[in-house]
Amino acid sequence: MEQDRIRIHFTSNREEIPGIINTCLEHVVQRTKTSPSSPDTFSKVKWVITELLTNAVKHSGTGYCTLIIKVDNDTLTIEKQDEGNPLSLREQATGNVFRWPIESLSGKLEFQIYHNGIDSLFVTSEHSNCAKFHIEELEGVEMPGLLIDTSEHFGLLIMTKASDEFYYEYDPATKVNRFVSLFNLKNH
Amino acid sequence: MVLQVKETDNVTQATILPQEASLANAEMFKEEMITLVANGAKLIVVSFENVNYIDSSFLGSLVVALKYAMPRNVDIYLVSLKPDVKNLLTLIRMDKVFKIFNDFGEAMEASK
Repeated sequence: MEQDRIRIHFTSNREEIPGIINTCLEHVVQRTKTSPSSPDTFSKVKWVITELLTNAVKHSGTGYCTLIIKVDNDTLTIEKQDEGNPLSLREQATGNVFRWPIESLSGKLEFQIYHNGIDSLFVTSEHSNCAKFHIEELEGVEMPGLLIDTSEHFGLLIMTKASDEFYYEYDPATKVNRFVSLFNLKNH
Repeated sequence: MVLQVKETDNVTQATILPQEASLANAEMFKEEMITLVANGAKLIVVSFENVNYIDSSFLGSLVVALKYAMPRNVDIYLVSLKPDVKNLLTLIRMDKVFKIFNDFGEAMEASK
């Protein structure tokens, strides 16, 4: 399949979210019709788009972002770009706040952001402008302890779990933030 | 108003009215749930029968409501979740935190 993409501009108006989701999903359906895109994948794509847009309303600090949906061979890429606040995350264990780009990063930075239920969300940064998210499962935690340890934040967790790969990049030259979700359509 | 509330045999049945359980109504939902707990409900059965999609903000409000309810010995059950909504709760393992039933009747059986 030839590379193909759509760009959608979002003005951080939450009322627009359902309409934009539908537009994006129509594009995904059209462009993946030769690839096996299961209902399960369809739902995951919808959740990622929803959370990227919700994240834009809540956290980006700007009134404008661009959503780019791209299908290239067997990879579906969902990307959100904005020029708002760069990524900022609190390490759960210490309370320290890390802001990207991380100055004087030497080696690899990795910490837990939060855990909800039995999923623990981690971020790893090997370059000052990048952050990659992944999940580790906590075993043997049951209710009610499970609830006590559960945070009320789910956006990054949903995007990380739904995607095959989910990461953040900051471009210092343009001051553009990019959140990128990848789906390998062969896996779905 | 996000919830339509009905009392049946000491059980509070709270049906979410909007089709989209999202950032737009998450805060109001949380306030209405906390009010139900504060007003003496013992078991709140939240019906998702109208809800076609849910986002992280609404999920956060659900967790806040349960965290407020449990120390007060109030339980919250979730019923009538459409597959897409249930699948999202399962993805993030909230099915281990909330008691989820197919419908109100099944929830009532479990509460006995």
